[in-house]
Amino acid sequence: MIKVETLNFSYTDGTQALFDINCEFPSEHIFAVMGDSGSGKTTLLNCIARFLMPQTGKITIDDQDTSGMAEIDLRNKVGVVFQRLHLFPHLNILQNMMLAPTLVQNRPVKELRKEASEMLERLGIPELAESYPSQVSGGQAQRAAIARGLMLKPSYMLLDEPTSALDARTSEEFALWLKELREDTSFIAVTHDLLFARAAARHGMYMEQGKIASQGVIEDVTAAHC
Amino acid sequence: MKPENYVIRLCLLLMFLFMASVSPSGAGENAENGKPLKTALTGKFPPFSFYDNKGELAGFDVDMSREIAKRIGRKSEIIATEWDGILAGLLAGKYDAIVGSMAITPERQQQVNFTAPYYYSGAQLFVHRDNPKRLYSIDDCAKARIAVVLGETYQHFLETNYPEVEVVTLKSGAEIFEMLSQKRIDGFVTDKLVGSWQIQKAGRDFVAVGDLLYKESIAIPVRKDNPELLEAINDALAGIESDGTLKKIHDKYFSLSSGRKTGNSGELSNSIIAEKLLAGFGITLIIAVASIALGFILSIPCGVILTYPKAMASLPYMVVRTIVDFLRGTPVLIQLLFVWMGMGLTPFKAAILTLGINSMAYMSEVIRAGLMSVDPGQALAAQALGLTKLQRFRHVIWPQAFRIAIPPLMNSVVALIKDTALVAVISIPEVIREAQSIISITFEPGKYYMVVAVMFFVVTFPLMKMAGLLEKRIKQKGFAHD
Ligand SMILES: Nc1ncnc2c1ncn2[C@@H]1O[C@H](COP(=O)(O)OP(=O)(O)OP(=O)(O)O)[C@@H](O)[C@H]1O
Ligand SMILES: [Mg+2]
Repeated sequence: MIKVETLNFSYTDGTQALFDINCEFPSEHIFAVMGDSGSGKTTLLNCIARFLMPQTGKITIDDQDTSGMAEIDLRNKVGVVFQRLHLFPHLNILQNMMLAPTLVQNRPVKELRKEASEMLERLGIPELAESYPSQVSGGQAQRAAIARGLMLKPSYMLLDEPTSALDARTSEEFALWLKELREDTSFIAVTHDLLFARAAARHGMYMEQGKIASQGVIEDVTAAHC
Repeated sequence: MKPENYVIRLCLLLMFLFMASVSPSGAGENAENGKPLKTALTGKFPPFSFYDNKGELAGFDVDMSREIAKRIGRKSEIIATEWDGILAGLLAGKYDAIVGSMAITPERQQQVNFTAPYYYSGAQLFVHRDNPKRLYSIDDCAKARIAVVLGETYQHFLETNYPEVEVVTLKSGAEIFEMLSQKRIDGFVTDKLVGSWQIQKAGRDFVAVGDLLYKESIAIPVRKDNPELLEAINDALAGIESDGTLKKIHDKYFSLSSGRKTGNSGELSNSIIAEKLLAGFGITLIIAVASIALGFILSIPCGVILTYPKAMASLPYMVVRTIVDFLRGTPVLIQLLFVWMGMGLTPFKAAILTLGINSMAYMSEVIRAGLMSVDPGQALAAQALGLTKLQRFRHVIWPQAFRIAIPPLMNSVVALIKDTALVAVISIPEVIREAQSIISITFEPGKYYMVVAVMFFVVTFPLMKMAGLLEKRIKQKGFAHD
C-alpha cells in the first residue's frame, strides 16, 4: 500500500500544486487517479516517484518512508511510465526492455532475452522486438514502455495517461490487457479517460485544484464528475 | 559492439601513445661535450642551405655547421626551421647557434652575440630583364613595388632608407620569382650571391642593377649566456679560414666549375619529390590523428561541464568556459608559438598539444550542443528504471548525444586537418614544409602547392561527404528533440 499524508507541494516559481493531500493507494490491481487538466495529478505521481520533493508531508510504500529509501530500492519497487514514454531511440524495443535489468539487477542476458520475448509475445507485438521506437505506432510504443517498466518486476507502477495515444475502443481493450499483465504489480494510472478508468479500475479518486475532491469505488467517483 | 566503443578505445590507445612519447627520453645528455652542437638554418636558402637530390640537407652553411662542430669536438645536429622564428628559437634554447647566413645588425646584437663574420655579401636590387619601369638603381624605385622575404634585413633597410619604395614582403624567394615573372612586382632586393645563383638556377630573365645597397657581414649568433661557445666557434672559424677550408667550401657551391648538372644542388627527381611529399603528408596525418584523439577525449568531460545549469555559480563551468573561449578567441598560430617556445616543448609535441587542445575547445562546444539536444525526459526515464548517474550518461544520454554530434565533429576534424598546415612554422617536416623546400629548388610553386592541396582534399572530401550522409540518417532516426 502507498500512503500519502498531509502532502504540500509548490514549484520553485511559487505555484502550489498540491494542498494537504491525504490518500491511500491499496495494493489492488488498478487504481485510477482522475481530474481536470492542471489539477496536480502528474505532480502527485512525481512526488511519489521522488522526482519532486514535497515541502511537507510523508509518503510511505509498504510502510517504508520513501524519503529514506535507497535510490535502487525505490526504483525496484516503483516503476514509472511517463506520459511521453521516453523510450530510448537508439535502442530497439528488446534492448529498451533489457537495459535496466542488465545494468541494475545484473541478470543474465540470455534469461532476460527469453523473458522479454515472452512479454512481447503476450503484448501481441513479437514482431517489434527488433524495431526502433521511431518505427512503431503510438499504441505499440505505449505497450513497449509499460513492458520496459515491468521487466524490473516492480510492486507498483505509476502510469501517466497510459491511454493518451489510444482511441476509445482500444483503450478498453488496453484496460483488459493491463489487468492480465502481471498479477504481482499494482498499477496507479493517471487518466482523463473515464471509460478506461471504469473498465480497468475498481477504486479511484478525483482531483480538483490540487485537492482530492472524492475517492472511493470507481463508479461513484466517475458518476460524481461526469 | 557499438561504434562509439571502437572510437573511445582507439582514442585511449592513441592517448597512451602520445603520453609515452611525451615522457622524458633517454639519459646521457649530461656532459656538455657529449651533447651535439645544435645549429639552425632554414634549409630554404640555396646554395647556403637546401635539400639535395637525395632529400638531405646540403649547402655552404650546412658544410660550415659540420666543420665547426668537428673542430669544437662535438657531433653536429642541424635543425631546419623557419626564418621567421629562428632567433626566437635560439633564445628559447631550441639550438645552440644559427649557422644560417644571418647578417649582423644592431637590433640582433641586442639579443644575441655574433661571432666574427664568416663571409661578406650585400644587398642587391634585381629587376626583370624587360624592365618596363626603367629601374637602374634603387634611387629609381620611388613608388615601385620591390619585394623582400619577410623578416630579412632588407625589409628594415628599405623601409628606413628608401621610404618612397613600396616594400612587398613575401614568404620565400620562390614566391618572389613567381611574382616578378608575372610582373606583379617590379623587382626585389636580396643577397647578391644568393640572388644571382638562384636566378641562374631557375633560368629566369632577371638582372642585377645598380651598386650594392650596402655590405653585410654574415656571422653566427649565439645566446649571450653562452660566451664559451662564442669563443669556441670563433676559434674554429679562424682555423677554417686560415687553412683554406673556407675557400674550399665556398668553391664547392659558388665556383663556376661546379656546373649546374653536377647535382650539388641539383634537380630533384620525381620519385624523390613524391617520396618527400608523401612522407610529409604522413607526418601531417599523424599529427592530425593524435591531435584529434587528444582533443576528442578532453572534449567529453569539458562538454559535460559546459552543460551544467546555473552557470554562474559553478566553478568548473567557469574554468572550462574561460579556457574554451580563450582558445577559440585567439589565433592558433600564437598558441602554437606559445607552446613551442613559451613552454619549451619539442615541435612535434607542441604541435599535437596545441592542435589537440584547440580542437578540444571546438569539440567541447559540439558535444555540449549534442548533450543539450537530448530530451531531458531520457535521463528521467533512465532514472525511473534505476540506472545510476553514470549508467544514465554512458548508456542513454551519451549514445544519443554522440550520434547527434558526429556530423559537426566531422567538421571539426576537417578543420583540424587543415590547421596542421600551420605547424610548418615550427619546423616540423610535414607536407607543406616539404613542398616549400622542394619549391626552393624547383621554383614551381604553382605545381607543388596544387599537389599538396589535392592531397588534403583527398582526405577531407570523404569526411565531409560522410558528415552529410550521417546528418541525414540521424534526422530520420528521430534522435534529439527540437
Ligand atoms: N514545472 C512546473 N513549474 C511550475 N508550475 C508547474 C510545473 N509543472 C506543473 N505546474 C503547475 O502545477 C499545477 C499542476 O500541474 P500538473 O502537471 O500536476 O497537472 P495535471 O493534473 O497532471 O494536468 P494534466 O492533466 O494537464 O497533465 C498546474 O497549475 C501547473 O500549471
Ligand atoms: Mg499531467
